[in-house]
Amino acid sequence: MLDLYREEIMDIYKNPSRKGRLSDANVTTAKKNPMCGDDISVQMKVEKGVIKDAKFDGSACLVSIVASEVLLDFLVGKSLKEAKSVTKEKLLDMLKLNLTTTRVGCATLALTAIQKAIEEHEEK
Amino acid sequence: MNVKEIKKDFPILKKKIGANDLVYLDNAATSQKPVQVIEAIKDFYENHNANVHRGIHTLSEEASDMYEDARAVVAAFLGAAHPEEIVFTRGATESLNMAAFSWGNKNLKKGDKILLTVFEHHSNLVPWQIVAKNTGAELMYIKTGAQGEIDMAEYEKNLSPEVKIVCIAHASNVFGTVLDIKEMTRKAHAVGAVVCVDGAQSAPHIPVNVQSLGCDFYAFSAHKMLGPMGVGVLYTKKNLMENMIPCQFGGGMISEVSHKSAEWASPPEKFEAGTPDVAGAIGLSAAVKYLEKIGMEEVRKHEVELNKYTIEKLQSVEGIKIIGPKDPVKRTGLVSFYSEKVHAHDIASVLNSSGVAVRSGHHCAMPLHTELGIAATVRASYYIYNDHSDIDKLVEGVKKALKMLS
Repeated sequence: MLDLYREEIMDIYKNPSRKGRLSDANVTTAKKNPMCGDDISVQMKVEKGVIKDAKFDGSACLVSIVASEVLLDFLVGKSLKEAKSVTKEKLLDMLKLNLTTTRVGCATLALTAIQKAIEEHEEK
Repeated sequence: MNVKEIKKDFPILKKKIGANDLVYLDNAATSQKPVQVIEAIKDFYENHNANVHRGIHTLSEEASDMYEDARAVVAAFLGAAHPEEIVFTRGATESLNMAAFSWGNKNLKKGDKILLTVFEHHSNLVPWQIVAKNTGAELMYIKTGAQGEIDMAEYEKNLSPEVKIVCIAHASNVFGTVLDIKEMTRKAHAVGAVVCVDGAQSAPHIPVNVQSLGCDFYAFSAHKMLGPMGVGVLYTKKNLMENMIPCQFGGGMISEVSHKSAEWASPPEKFEAGTPDVAGAIGLSAAVKYLEKIGMEEVRKHEVELNKYTIEKLQSVEGIKIIGPKDPVKRTGLVSFYSEKVHAHDIASVLNSSGVAVRSGHHCAMPLHTELGIAATVRASYYIYNDHSDIDKLVEGVKKALKMLS
């Protein structure tokens, strides 16, 4: 029962180390989930095409928070090119949360936000 | 009203969610279907299926008669003066789109105003945004109080002669607040505006008489009132129907066609292009008959009692905030609430693990949630097959979620 709320997930949910604001961010974006009103903002510090640090903030559910945390942990140290190549499937595979269809949208919110931010950054 | 007996008519309520009995509290999204409705649909396909109108053979006549009977049953249920005022659609959303495009595109122009409440469901908001863009008319919003109530003085202030249509939900799907449509319509008519009512959350729960309310349009869905999905109704006052252009064209809606042009059939056919969902209309008719057997006054009484019980119980849970009126009589059968610490989705997930089905999110009222500063709420909404024990399970589940996650 309640596979989603197992202990290691709850630990991340209660103390997300990547939640907050990054003062020296140079790539930022915000994304709303139209299905639930969740609102996630992502800030990244990018140097020479590599993500040096990243944080997320906003109002979100457990799935959204945990997915953002896992994703940002994975992305720090990676290049923008690598970040862009992360697919929805890859993220879900990293999460291993066994999500229902509706909540896949919660999980991929941060990913969509980051990819939008990178696109906008590259257009500049 | 005997809830135990009523429950027996709903096969799905025997379903288990994991090891738990299903407690279905998501009725504002869609209701469950009694065996009487399921059988009526099955009977149509097994014994009477044929296309309606113009068929000479027996089956087509049977199907046509059954379809028109369904229209008459719905007309009587709504207290409409004429069955022709009932147009079958795919649901309340299509009904409201029809009102917007068939009436709005023909009757609105630059300088006109469309008046709406801030809590309209997207279906009674987005079509009007498009019509406003098409015609140059302007959207205006009536401010509501913190509980979704309309201040009549404020409403009257907004009713300038430029207002040509007022678009309002009979009952808010988030706050639950029931509006005084009769009074609002009287005031709108006084400045020459017509009134379009979204009845999706009222037709299933509150006795409705469109002639007494006086409104010009009234839209609802079958699936929220024990009927099948994919069928809805747009009631339109007869005198308006002539001055509306159809928004779908094709078979069934014409009187004469040449290679160059066509003339429309009389209403309601004018607005029902193509083969209608005959089985769906028959299913809706069976649903109406089921509700009428119980009596809409009884349905309403039952839900007011459940409102009272739910509000009392949830108010005693620390950390839970209820939105909408505290007076159970002022709301339709639903209660929305939230916690500042635990996201609505997580509360809904934990509730689901005990078999309790509720909705979480912004309930298709995004601008309202933005205004309230709440990302999402949990909404428990009931119907004739819910009782106090269902509410107890809801409250238990909410407490469990708060304990686990905050």
